[in-house]
Amino acid sequence: MEKETSTSELIERFNLVADNIRQEYNAHLWLIEVFGKRHSYIAGCRDDSFLPPEVIYINNRFAVVSSDWDKVPREKKEEVFSLVKEYCNRVF
Amino acid sequence: MLAVLTKRERDWVERVIKEEEIEKYMDNGRDFIDDEEIWNRIKSNTKPEKKRIRDIIQKSMEIKTLEPDETASLLNLEDPELWEEVFQAAKEIKKKVYDNRIVTFAPLYCGDLCVNNCLYCGFRRENAVIKRRKLTLEEIRKEAEVLAGEIGHKRLIVVYGEHPSTNAGYIADTIRTIYDVKVKTKNGYGQIRRVNVNIAPMSVDDLRLLRDVGIGTYQVFQETYHHGTYKRLHPEGTLKSHYQWRLYCHHRALEAGVDDVAIGALFGLYDWRFDVMGLLYHARDLERHFGIGPHTISFPRLEPAANTPFIQATNYRVSDEDFKKIIAVIRLSVPYTGMILTARESASIRREVLPIGITQTDASTKIGIGAYSDRYTEQEEDRQQFLLGDTRSLDEVIRELAQMGYITSFCTAGYRCGRTGDRIMSLLRTGREAVFCKLNAVLTFKEWLDDFASPETKAAGEQILKKEVEEIKDKLPQNVYEKLLEYYRRIEDGERDLYF
Repeated sequence: MEKETSTSELIERFNLVADNIRQEYNAHLWLIEVFGKRHSYIAGCRDDSFLPPEVIYINNRFAVVSSDWDKVPREKKEEVFSLVKEYCNRVF
Repeated sequence: MLAVLTKRERDWVERVIKEEEIEKYMDNGRDFIDDEEIWNRIKSNTKPEKKRIRDIIQKSMEIKTLEPDETASLLNLEDPELWEEVFQAAKEIKKKVYDNRIVTFAPLYCGDLCVNNCLYCGFRRENAVIKRRKLTLEEIRKEAEVLAGEIGHKRLIVVYGEHPSTNAGYIADTIRTIYDVKVKTKNGYGQIRRVNVNIAPMSVDDLRLLRDVGIGTYQVFQETYHHGTYKRLHPEGTLKSHYQWRLYCHHRALEAGVDDVAIGALFGLYDWRFDVMGLLYHARDLERHFGIGPHTISFPRLEPAANTPFIQATNYRVSDEDFKKIIAVIRLSVPYTGMILTARESASIRREVLPIGITQTDASTKIGIGAYSDRYTEQEEDRQQFLLGDTRSLDEVIRELAQMGYITSFCTAGYRCGRTGDRIMSLLRTGREAVFCKLNAVLTFKEWLDDFASPETKAAGEQILKKEVEEIKDKLPQNVYEKLLEYYRRIEDGERDLYF
């Protein structure tokens, strides 16, 4: 079984993914923690374009948000979700 | 005679405060408010030179939090011409950070049971003239249905006394109940989309419970930052007499993951210049520990309350002229923060001070327990914490705001898509949040006009909307403008809650 990870490790890892996507596709991603209607920012880009944000839920606790999903190719998007899902599912 | 606490109340009171959750934030046993240091700064910055004031204004315009000596200099200003420059700067800072939108909300009082005995408060436990009760969840639902379905509010601040009957579990239940309400309106549906709370200081565990039900902002006012005055006004042995438990409650909220916190002081308890400094120190300490300052600052003035003679006896009543200075100095000192002006104030004062930095206000306000669904038209002293100065309807207030050139916003988008905590701070400091404010103000105002406005208000509102949409067309990228138009049309067709 995979070793469990802390939220700070998740933040660090997500920041690397978000940086990579921003540099490659000029798309801004950020990670949020879901508390009912409250979706609190925890990692990723602080900036974004002024288009409507689309929230994509990773599990009951985390979601990735971006206004720029259309800039990211489908395969890359799936790769990101898969990676982030793996990180998120390991958070204790 | 002092109303005695029951055994249940006493047992509960003994369990609330967790000293270890305070001590960790203190420096060698001292909190961040040093009364002597604050007075020394106020006294050592008298007669500030014109150049210094203009440098301070420039720093505020760059959306930087001021140093204590800088705020103290502003508080010591005497030159009326320089005050005019400060008022003008306050107006420009507000526009830069939040544009010309005013967010509206309504307070919802859920209970007036309280174990405390604060000298200035109508709900103090010793006050026998107040009718005590808390709302049932069914009554809460009815209140929310009126607010969301008849008046058109989307954002509430829910208020509770500090009492075992209205503990964190009850508060969580009331918030779930409010969020569940969905009411058919003329062209769409009404819902409360953001529930902020004004409640007593809580432990980290209780704050996590509230975080988990999705509260918006956690708002607690220190009342006064002056230790001696605080002690005198909050009788020893009461929960509220613990100055540091209150002072560090926002730190605990941030620790618990509630990353929007709101501070405030009740002006009229002590020297207003000291309490403005206290607010600045509070904002700075939150920034120091968490990199996140207050989401909003409130600055209510004492208002009359039933059987509460302290209010007439205070030596620190704040004049209208000084009230205006308080608002401007807070706006310059913590330039990124939201600032809330409530219906405690009269319509004329609200009209006068709104331009100098206000970002949020309430309307159609009722503060009696169960007052919205009761539909009472006169204020009832024996079920209100204090008396309101402005009881105008939301429709009237919105019409007036539109005539003054403001767009009313019902936006609640930020905390539902991760524009919270240090991310919102960064967007506010760079002026980028103002763009979201404008876009979401247009969409939510359009919803409200279509569902709730009188013909006169709709006409005034449509004019403002037209101007705002033109401005967006001129200033923002074409794809943003086109998306706005798409959403605008969809709202006309009855869709709701579309946001940027």
